[in-house]
Amino acid sequence: MTGGAWLCLLAPLVGTILILLGGSWLPRVAAGWIATTSVFVAFGGAVWAFFGVRGSTGHHGEITTAWTWLQSGNFHVGLQLLVDPLSAMMMLIVSGVSGLIILYSIGYMDGDDEERRYFAYIAFFVFSMLLLVEGGNLLMLLIGWGLVGLSSYLLIGFWHERPSAVQAAKKAFVMNAIGDATMALAFFILIAHTNSLSFSVLDAHLSSTQANLVALGLLGGAVAKSAQIPLQTWLPDAMEGPTPVSALIHAATMVTAGVYLIARTHPIFEQARTIELIAAGTGALTLLVAGLIALVQTDIKRVIAYSTMSQIGYMFLGAGVGGYANGMFHLMTHAFFKALLFMTAGLAIHALANEQDIRNMRGLGRVMPFTKWCFLAGALALVGVPPFSGFFSKDPIIASTLNIGWYGYVFYACGIAGAFLTGLYTFRLWFLVFPGEPSPFVREHYHDHHGREGAWTMLVPVGVLGVLATVGGWIQWPPLWEPITHWLAPVAPTLAAAEVSSTQEYVTSVVTVIVGIAGIAVAWAVYSERKLAIPAAPSLRRVLENKFYFDRLYDRIFYGPSAETATFLRREFEEPVVLQTGPDLGDVTLETGGLVRRIQTGLLRTYVLFLAAGAAGVVLAFLIAR
Amino acid sequence: MSSSYLTSVLIWLPIGGAVLIWLLPLSRYATGSLALLISLAEVGFWIRQAAHFDFSQPGLQMEERANWFGDLGVSYHVGVYGFSLWLVGLTVVGMAACTAYGFWVGRDRPRAYFGLMLLLTGATVGVFESQDLLLFYAFFEAMLIPLYILIGVWGGARRMEATIKFVIYTMSGSLLMLAAIVVYGLQAGTFDLVDGPMSGSRWLFLGFMVAFVIKAPLFPFHGWLPDAYREAPPEVAAVLSGVIAKAGLYGMLRIAITKFPDPTSFYRTTVLALAAAALVYGSLLAFRSPDFRGVVAYSSLAQSGLIALGLFAGTDLGFDGAVLQMVAHGLISISLFLIAGAVERRTTTGEFRLLGGMARGRPALATLLMTVGVISLAVPGSAAFAGEFLILAGVFQRDWWWAAIGAGAIVLAAMYMLRLISAVLHEARGSTVSDEALDLRPGELALVVPLVAGLLFLSAWPAGISSHAFAPDSPTAAVRSQFK
Repeated sequence: MTGGAWLCLLAPLVGTILILLGGSWLPRVAAGWIATTSVFVAFGGAVWAFFGVRGSTGHHGEITTAWTWLQSGNFHVGLQLLVDPLSAMMMLIVSGVSGLIILYSIGYMDGDDEERRYFAYIAFFVFSMLLLVEGGNLLMLLIGWGLVGLSSYLLIGFWHERPSAVQAAKKAFVMNAIGDATMALAFFILIAHTNSLSFSVLDAHLSSTQANLVALGLLGGAVAKSAQIPLQTWLPDAMEGPTPVSALIHAATMVTAGVYLIARTHPIFEQARTIELIAAGTGALTLLVAGLIALVQTDIKRVIAYSTMSQIGYMFLGAGVGGYANGMFHLMTHAFFKALLFMTAGLAIHALANEQDIRNMRGLGRVMPFTKWCFLAGALALVGVPPFSGFFSKDPIIASTLNIGWYGYVFYACGIAGAFLTGLYTFRLWFLVFPGEPSPFVREHYHDHHGREGAWTMLVPVGVLGVLATVGGWIQWPPLWEPITHWLAPVAPTLAAAEVSSTQEYVTSVVTVIVGIAGIAVAWAVYSERKLAIPAAPSLRRVLENKFYFDRLYDRIFYGPSAETATFLRREFEEPVVLQTGPDLGDVTLETGGLVRRIQTGLLRTYVLFLAAGAAGVVLAFLIAR
Repeated sequence: MSSSYLTSVLIWLPIGGAVLIWLLPLSRYATGSLALLISLAEVGFWIRQAAHFDFSQPGLQMEERANWFGDLGVSYHVGVYGFSLWLVGLTVVGMAACTAYGFWVGRDRPRAYFGLMLLLTGATVGVFESQDLLLFYAFFEAMLIPLYILIGVWGGARRMEATIKFVIYTMSGSLLMLAAIVVYGLQAGTFDLVDGPMSGSRWLFLGFMVAFVIKAPLFPFHGWLPDAYREAPPEVAAVLSGVIAKAGLYGMLRIAITKFPDPTSFYRTTVLALAAAALVYGSLLAFRSPDFRGVVAYSSLAQSGLIALGLFAGTDLGFDGAVLQMVAHGLISISLFLIAGAVERRTTTGEFRLLGGMARGRPALATLLMTVGVISLAVPGSAAFAGEFLILAGVFQRDWWWAAIGAGAIVLAAMYMLRLISAVLHEARGSTVSDEALDLRPGELALVVPLVAGLLFLSAWPAGISSHAFAPDSPTAAVRSQFK
């Protein structure tokens, strides 16, 4: 099974290297197919690893080491992979969904004059993501974590002649770097106390302060990567990248890494239960805030981006209360339906000559029926309407908050309110874009692809994901049928506090579905039938349109001051003081020589002469001082 | 040992080559070829030296010793340790790339130029190999003199100003060091670094440290740095920040920390504070710097601070990380300055407001700058990340706040390096970027690609240096035993 893990990890890297070395000799089409093939080979490796784990006794996993990557004294870290139920599950999701998205990119990126660079980057991204989920110790995880940030930077800024794309890419990288830094600090604590970074040190007994700090550092990394409050502002801007990138990175894989991290490092979070609950609270807060902001967005990709933040909020909530399997299950179904939503949005954008404003898209369903039905499947899965996948994965998360204390009820209320918002913003999008007569804009700009809604390379993955978004949730239906929870039990068993009774489970399901459908109904009344007016609350609207002013706040308290400090230091200290010291020193030396002005020739040798004379004096001084 | 001759060959071959070039009336082309041949031979000899180095043995290897002024306790004593082996490697590889760059751009007065480059190579190797303080001092000065001339003659428009500042700073430092050496030698009765005793004198420690702190440099002794890095020819700036600055840091490790353990403890917090200041201050100024070389210059200041942080942490991880980072940053800095040179040759400027959009149609330039840039901002998995991670983990064990400051500076590093990458490669095309500005030529690729390949190799296996710098001892034990 370790062979499968290595195959899975290295195939995309080989793909990247082939495309890079091929350079302009490589035909354009070939780059896309190399990337796609390499990722499907990786999926084969993941399947191999999965069956390896399944066939092993106890499912405890196996670590495989290539070589010692970093060593100092008796501290050493290997280039290691870990194959266990959790990593096998992530490998399957990541390589499977990525393969479909890269196949889709072949059609989407067709005709871009830098296709090859795109496919090299995206294959490198898959490699990084697989390193993240397969890494066999904390440092390997951090390396995957950082490389994922790098490839996300490269892909967001792919159209590098657009200033907005370059800005967004830099912002994403820097915010992720903040998370990397807090994780590194957490690791320093572990090194200082255990001299190791293997996953087993997470079980080691640390003092409660240490455990809290380590967990807090890890949480910093998780919120940065998963775009949770307070490090969420980069994700909407990241929509500057090509749409398949948004599907891959900003929906299906990378942004869910924070949930994986919590599940992987749960022993430390359990030692620091307060921090774990803070993670849950962060998720609850983010799912509401993002759901509210999504209500006023007009860019189709940004609506979906905010919905991603909101859904990851659910996963954080699930993992944070101790239901790691619930979080991971939602991660999986979310990968299906969110990739589907982004890719159907991509079909629309592609067919409408890169238009992204939903106010121009009314009636698109008439000309793009396949896109319409697939989007609907994704939307219903997102809202959690049975029997679509989101229904099975979202409800257990909300239910699992019921037995953990008073704040559990707050989380529960947030989860339910979030379900309403999800129905509302998702179907606002649906009713604005798909039903009805096509708008003049749609009639004018719609162009098909040989009589179809897109190239076959785009339609096939969308179809496959449409099926997965519909049926992908049937794999688990708590409390009747829980194979994923059992699969993950050897690695990340659900905490007792997050176990709920069947009644709680059923009641929650019923309530969530009703609330979600209520959200859909309100959306229908407001945006389709126009029976209800949008409440005129200009101040609230302004707050939402400004995304709760997070961007402006960060500019004001972080970016602005550091830029100003730097400018101030340069103008008031570096130039007048530091850069002047040398010449001043030279002048002073000359003056002490007693031959002011007359010999100030600027000649090097005079300076040197006096320096030498000074040095002789210093020798004497040293001798006397001893 | 049979391979000991390599130690001396590495020093004297380029110096002999320099003399030969000054004496022989060779043509421009022949001079450059000869110099390049000698610097490549240096790389070959170094590979041989590394192959013969026994990493399982502690102490000095490939030692050569001859009496010089016996009465004074001065001898010609050279040899290598694990960490000096890597720094010698950095020197010969970096000098070969920079000499080749000088050949490629066709520097005028070739005999003088290439002779000085070779002299610089030999002297720098000498600094890293000397085991006698006076010999060390002689090489330290011999290393600075060619630099003064290289900047003063082949530099940019404000070269004299830059040279004078550089001379004043470095001379002040090295004369204080000379004084400290003389006093130390007279007291100890020997100038030998291996045999010499430890000393508790704070004054002598400070005498040495001033020279090293200026050379490295640390805040606020970097007044010479921005002008020197901007006005020097790009390949000389590359040597200066990639290799020569490491001599200052090497001196801290080999002399100040090893020979003066008590003063080191006494001044530890002070030096750590200066190092942290260099790290933060350098990063902030790099972020606001208006030109390519300015960013690289201030980031070198920041990196020197980081490495000094590792050295003065006084922990295993700190020492190993510092050595790894010296090599990694050396390669990064040389590559960045050479790329800066390539950009300036095409656009006549390094100013960001006149640059931009160079990625389109120039894939080799874009790929190389991007690769070196992200390695330099210590993206996880890179050699620089490994070095910084060890250094900060090491200094964390001393006191947590140093590591917290360092982690903050790493975020700043991401900010200034991405700013540089975008300003050169991305967005609208700058006013000086014309269609005639071609992609990197094969000659330039032949210089930069091996350096980048070295960085990628180190990224795949940083333990290659970090566990072979003080082997087989733990670094702290090796320092305590004075590398005997």
